[in-house]
Amino acid sequence: MTNPILQARGLEKTYEDNGVPVHAVRGIDLDVFAEDFLVIAGPSGSGKTTLLNLLGALDTPSAGHVFFEGADLSSKSKSELAYLRLQRMGFIFQAYNLIPVLTALENIEFTMMLRGMEKAERHARAQAVMEELGIAELAHKRPNQMSGGQQQRVAIARAIVTDPAVVLADEPTANIDTATGNALLDLMERMNSEKHITFIFSSHDPQVIGRGKRLLHLRDGRIDSSRG
Amino acid sequence: MRLLLTLAWRNVWRNKRRSIITILAVTFAVMLSIVMRGIQLGTYEVNIRHVVELFTGYIQLQAPGYQESPSLRKSFRLGPELQDALAEEDEVLASAPRIVGDGLVSFRDNSQGAILFGVDPSAERSVSTLPDKVSAGFFLSEKNPYDVVVGHTLLENLGCALGDDLVVLAQGYDGSLGNLKFRIVGAMKTGILDLDRSAVLMPLATAQELLLMEGRATMIVVRLENLRRIDQVRESLAARLDPFGLAVLSWGEVMPDLREGIELDNVSGMLMLAILILVVAFGITNTVLMSVTERFREFGIVLSVGMQTRTLVGLVVLEIAFIVAIGTTAGNALAYGINSYLAANPISFGSEFEQMYAEYGFLPRIESIILLSSFVNNTLAILGVSLLASLYPLTKILRLEPLKGIRYT
Amino acid sequence: MILLSLAWRNLWRNTRRSVIVLTSVAIGVVATVILDTLSRGMVFQMLNNQVGSHVTHMQIHRAGFHKNPVIQSTIADSEQIENVLRSDPDIVQYSRRVVTFGLLSSATNSSGVSIVGIDPERERSLTTIRSYIVEGSYLTGAPREIVLGKALAEKLEVGLGDRVVAMASAKDGTMGSELFRVAGLFETFSSEFDKTSIYVPRSSAQTMLALGSEVSEFAMLVTDPDRLTEIAERLRGRLGEEYEVLPYMDLLPFLVLQIELYDQSMVIFYVIVGIALIFGIINTMLMSVFERIKEFGVLKAVGMKNGRILIMVLTEALFLGMLGTVVGFLVGYLVYLPLSTSGLDLSAFSGSLRSFGVGAIIYPVLTAGVITNALIIIPLMAVAGAVYPAVRAMRLEPVHAIRYV
Repeated sequence: MTNPILQARGLEKTYEDNGVPVHAVRGIDLDVFAEDFLVIAGPSGSGKTTLLNLLGALDTPSAGHVFFEGADLSSKSKSELAYLRLQRMGFIFQAYNLIPVLTALENIEFTMMLRGMEKAERHARAQAVMEELGIAELAHKRPNQMSGGQQQRVAIARAIVTDPAVVLADEPTANIDTATGNALLDLMERMNSEKHITFIFSSHDPQVIGRGKRLLHLRDGRIDSSRG
Repeated sequence: MRLLLTLAWRNVWRNKRRSIITILAVTFAVMLSIVMRGIQLGTYEVNIRHVVELFTGYIQLQAPGYQESPSLRKSFRLGPELQDALAEEDEVLASAPRIVGDGLVSFRDNSQGAILFGVDPSAERSVSTLPDKVSAGFFLSEKNPYDVVVGHTLLENLGCALGDDLVVLAQGYDGSLGNLKFRIVGAMKTGILDLDRSAVLMPLATAQELLLMEGRATMIVVRLENLRRIDQVRESLAARLDPFGLAVLSWGEVMPDLREGIELDNVSGMLMLAILILVVAFGITNTVLMSVTERFREFGIVLSVGMQTRTLVGLVVLEIAFIVAIGTTAGNALAYGINSYLAANPISFGSEFEQMYAEYGFLPRIESIILLSSFVNNTLAILGVSLLASLYPLTKILRLEPLKGIRYT
Repeated sequence: MILLSLAWRNLWRNTRRSVIVLTSVAIGVVATVILDTLSRGMVFQMLNNQVGSHVTHMQIHRAGFHKNPVIQSTIADSEQIENVLRSDPDIVQYSRRVVTFGLLSSATNSSGVSIVGIDPERERSLTTIRSYIVEGSYLTGAPREIVLGKALAEKLEVGLGDRVVAMASAKDGTMGSELFRVAGLFETFSSEFDKTSIYVPRSSAQTMLALGSEVSEFAMLVTDPDRLTEIAERLRGRLGEEYEVLPYMDLLPFLVLQIELYDQSMVIFYVIVGIALIFGIINTMLMSVFERIKEFGVLKAVGMKNGRILIMVLTEALFLGMLGTVVGFLVGYLVYLPLSTSGLDLSAFSGSLRSFGVGAIIYPVLTAGVITNALIIIPLMAVAGAVYPAVRAMRLEPVHAIRYV
């Protein structure tokens, strides 16, 4: 068995809500392996989004450690974490994924530009990924000219175009109708199997949960049950 | 990176109206400040040149201590060596000796205090515009040593006219009182009240005779090519004339009150500008703040995806720079137009102001000059202040965490 | 009115934004108020210095003297004038002077001067020149004493106790001259004055200039300087055309003009600052209005007329302007208070200030003009800035709001 790309050990996260401490994550251990298609599920308030954020180096734990490709994230500065996210991860959010003033093509190119890639190369790669996802015709459209589903496809394209080690998606199907949501999940499954991209989802949508090859149920900040 | 620039540019125009209004504010401030400075500096230069060419000269050579406490005792010898030394200085166009003293002029029963000017009738022409200010009659000539030119107000007050005889009483170099009779051949109108009502011009040789100052003078008036090179020439002359033991003074040292008056006006002008720029800067702060808080969610996402916070700050700085750049360019262009127009077509004040300005020695005209330094300084100032004003919203971005941004309501 | 309360509360929906605008208004007002009070102070000082130290409120001469101050133009019948002055309730104090131009000489130097022959006892309560004596003493009334400016004494290289000779045309056509002994030296705010004015006992001047008992000038102080023109008119009526009655405004016309100029240029400056503020206000109000489009829709639906909406938005801007102005004014006042007692030391410019007759320390002056300028102009400009956004608010249909989000 290969080494896990992401590890959580004794992860805890507490934050304050109007003076009341909320223990969002209370002691979680987890290993994520390459090519996993993992869904973190649970009711609202279960801590799944918080866990996802901790794994994605977007948040720092109150206790415990997150190891990414062997490196302890707690020893890294914010700037280093940002760099890490840029180089090795992809993100898909529930909404507002795209920069409104950029076209789809430009949105996809964005992270590549931040990484200093040459214009010709990033243009080529963006085009390629748009073809693969079947959204080539959206290239010069702005987000406000696309449907929700189209926007999410572009978000997926942006997330995977840089060959990230892991793609983290927080409720990616939340604002989409069932059919489109299904299509999106098909897409991501295909990326997982054909391109060997690792996906971690956090969702309470049964549609998403049903697709997960690995499943983690959270309740009150702890792992309730797991499968796969 | 071009994409960042494109992003910044497009972000500026997300809210067209707001950006245009902010740009207009910057344009207004820039235009106004450059025009005001142009007018101020232009007017100073006009007035300085007027006084300098009419009266004080660009530079004066005097005996040390004369400026603080003028008296005939503090005069100096005019020798050929001095002339030669002066002639060697390149940027000196011309020079002329003068004697200045106090006296009493009487016409019949009437007498008035007067300031006596002994000038060299031919040399004076090349250093000052005094000979051109003769409003009636003629200027002095060496052929007629006892002809004088009198300020026109003095003429009126004495109740005399051209052709009349005037007696001048004065205290000479040795302290004794002497008098001479003169004939009035000309009246002078300089626009400077003090001169017009108390000046009596006579040939230098005659003044030397009256005041027992043979071969001496109280000052040498020097004319230069370029007003702005005064300090350099002054230093050069001071070195060259060191063996003669003379003090070399610029017009500002000869008329410190005028120079300080200009400085005071200058400072108050700059103060007003500073206030203006400050006010506009707050307008920019608010605009930037609004545009930034609106986009916190977007910023959150962009930071999540891995953009460094400082890059994001740089993006917003670019947006501010675009707005300020457009505003200052437009402001500069407008100001250039206005200043050019005024430089070619100076405005004259109405007559009531003319009198007042004459009293204080200012010309009643608005002129303007185009100075590259003016443009550059003003633009940099506004740019700098705008960025300072934006510090508050920029620090908000700096402290923004990806998740906080995303969850911002 | 509910409208006012609504407008007020709307301001505080976005506290940070409103605070920034208020701060900008306040700063603009503080700065202009300080500048205004200082300029007025400077100009008032110029005036008061001149009036208080020498010119006094009003002077009477033989008609034509002011334009042409020849020694022959004397006041023939002093007693007539004195009777008029004594019987006038508004004349507080007066004195008689001899005034002419002449030459003052020492052993080493001479200088043109304005010779003023005075009655030191009377002048004490008329002018403040006595307080400017820095060496020696004021005229005691002994004959042939002279008091001159320190700068002049330095030029003539004389000190206390030294002799100087004054020379001027006498009334009978001869050249009058007299020997004086330096009794005191003064140093005023005006270098010009110090270099050219000398005071001698009136009797000495009259003797020197063959005037007998005649004088050139009556100088006086009145009860209420604001009514000078009226008092002057009255005196003219009683004295007739033989004499000229000149309030200080006529004696110092350039100064008066300068005061007016300052007033005008200050108003212009307030307007300019106001315009600069307007841009900020327009943007702020626009933002605030667009945020509330749906709300306006609701208000309209409930029956609020467009005009009311307009007024409400304008009132919000008015409140912003007024609040900012009041705060700015208070801060400006707090800065003004200590400055008004200690003054602002501008000795770096002392040379030119002294030539303007001001003195190196400037005391700001708060007048009704400053208050009205600040409290009226700025809020008005704020309202002007809100007109465009208010009109838009009035006309906006909620349906169109979606496009602007």
